[in-house]
Amino acid sequence: MLRLQTKLSLFNLISKLIFTALFLVFMPYIMERINLRQVDEDLIQKREQFISLISDIGIEPFITSDSSFGSFNIIKEEFISLEMTSVDEDFNFIEETVRDIDNEEIEYRVLNYTFEIDGQKYLLEVGRSLASIDRTERNIIRVIIPFLFLIIIITFLTDTQYTRYILLPLEKIKKKLKRIPDPSLFDRRPVITSTSDFRRLDDALCEVMENLNNMFQKEKDITVNISHELMTPISVLRSKLENLMMKDETDPEVSSKIEDSLRTLHRLQSLVNSLLLIARIESNQYLKEESFKIREIIDEIISELSPVAEDASIDLSGNYESDCIFSKANRSLIFSMFYNVVNNAIKNTPAGGKVTVSCSHPNDRFIVTISDTGKGLTSEQKQNLFSRFRARDKNSGEGTGIGLAIAKTIADFHNIEIKVESEIEKGTTFSFIFSENS
Amino acid sequence: MNVLIVEDEKSLAREIAEFLKSEKFLCDIANTGTEASEKIAINLYDFVLLDLGLPDYNGLDLLKEAKELNSEASFIILTARGAVEDKVRGLDLGADDYLAKPFALIELLSRINAVARRKFNITSPDIVLGDFTMQVQARRLMCMGKEVELTRKEYDLLSYLVLNSGKVLNRQQLYEHIWGNILDDQYDSNFIDVHIKNLRKKLNLHAPTPWLETVRGVGYRVNTMQEED
Repeated sequence: MLRLQTKLSLFNLISKLIFTALFLVFMPYIMERINLRQVDEDLIQKREQFISLISDIGIEPFITSDSSFGSFNIIKEEFISLEMTSVDEDFNFIEETVRDIDNEEIEYRVLNYTFEIDGQKYLLEVGRSLASIDRTERNIIRVIIPFLFLIIIITFLTDTQYTRYILLPLEKIKKKLKRIPDPSLFDRRPVITSTSDFRRLDDALCEVMENLNNMFQKEKDITVNISHELMTPISVLRSKLENLMMKDETDPEVSSKIEDSLRTLHRLQSLVNSLLLIARIESNQYLKEESFKIREIIDEIISELSPVAEDASIDLSGNYESDCIFSKANRSLIFSMFYNVVNNAIKNTPAGGKVTVSCSHPNDRFIVTISDTGKGLTSEQKQNLFSRFRARDKNSGEGTGIGLAIAKTIADFHNIEIKVESEIEKGTTFSFIFSENS
Repeated sequence: MNVLIVEDEKSLAREIAEFLKSEKFLCDIANTGTEASEKIAINLYDFVLLDLGLPDYNGLDLLKEAKELNSEASFIILTARGAVEDKVRGLDLGADDYLAKPFALIELLSRINAVARRKFNITSPDIVLGDFTMQVQARRLMCMGKEVELTRKEYDLLSYLVLNSGKVLNRQQLYEHIWGNILDDQYDSNFIDVHIKNLRKKLNLHAPTPWLETVRGVGYRVNTMQEED
């Protein structure tokens, strides 16, 4: 796949080269035609001059004893000859002949012309050597070819610059489309262009994004509303069950059943809460105004989760090469994001395994990696890792499985890129790559 | 103490009232904003539990109105919205606390008690638990004159159980109280069990803890009565 601009430049270059090649092929022929025409005109003009000379001073001065007149210029480039002739027909034509002059064969273009004075017929020949024509041709080519190449280079450069200039709006439109996790983040300011096609493209894109955004917004609103509606019956049920449970006379077996129901209810509550959280983040209901150190958060998470890790005989540790102050962020969301992923790593690591959280700053971007020595993921699992209600794997452990979806939503909200590398039976590594300016 | 429950979901209001009555509160219920506004105008309450999502009344307006008419009362906002701005605005308007639905009744009680303690400047007495003494004011646990080293979370867990002694608290209630409910992917987690286990281990180094009971299939309970039996 080539970029439009590259294609246009290539086409431009190739067409110029083909044109030049054609020109070079046909140029000798054209040159020759031009030159011959010029030579012929020249010969005719010479003839006219000569005739008018004769009519001024008469023919006698030119007719000598051997009844012919010839004049060559010194380098045998041109000649004029006049002789009496006895042929009957009249000539007036131009031909190319070879003349033998001083034992030298020279190719001439010769004008043959007959005329009659006092009943005597004369043949006038005006000739010009073709060698001089060839030379002119060669000289012209010598001048023209470098000039031609200069023109090609200049026009190629200006054309390329100009196409780049007129394609600039297209680049801007492309940039607008790059990396938008959500249509609400689409830059709706119109791209400045005087090209109607780009105008239409940009307008159409804005419209599509607007529509998409409206649809998404509707979906989010529905999710928020449904979640709210669900919370009320959950509240009622929960209070009822808790009241039942606190009654002293309740039988232990019944208590245990009630507790079971409460757990199921809690599961429902978690699910609804998670959906609500995601919908709220996606409809930008959370503020991003805090600044904090990432390391602080990781430390907190490790100290929160280390009892659980210890209990499962998993070595949970942090490894800080560098730290980063994350500004314009939501602390509790970022906490949740890392917490969910670390917690998930602990759940998926067998006893005796390791979970390591590292912070590094290898290039211009800050990276937090969370790696475990767990079962690893199949490529299919990896693909569905962040989807909200993935078909649940029997061995995927506890939880609603929505924790990673939450983490992904929070990461998108903060412009953090997540990369997952995994090897079966070796473990999984999650990398959180922060954007450059944070 | 006199409590007004403003909640449009009737059965929820009833459950809250039933629970608070069992905790020796006097309860009044208002199912609409208008009803609430009337009751507030006539009676004096110590506590108003206010649902912000009332169909006939803007909850925040009601709060403003109630603060004027019943300036002695404390207000706890109950809402299914849980949106940050609602919470901030409610607290700005002078609410004393905020609880997102669904909440545990025990949690509601502990919030009410906390507000009451703050308001009346009640110094909590030390609580004796077998060989241990919980110094509530200083947030310390002592055992035979020596302080027991606990993390903040462990102390919170223990003190929540102690403040609700005699009641069985399940894992969800404990979890929500200590960690909030922002991390909600673990309805089935053994998080609390692990913390209780660690807590027991630490305490048992000093003295036995028969008062910290595990109620099979349900949760945990601190039983302060046991010693006296």
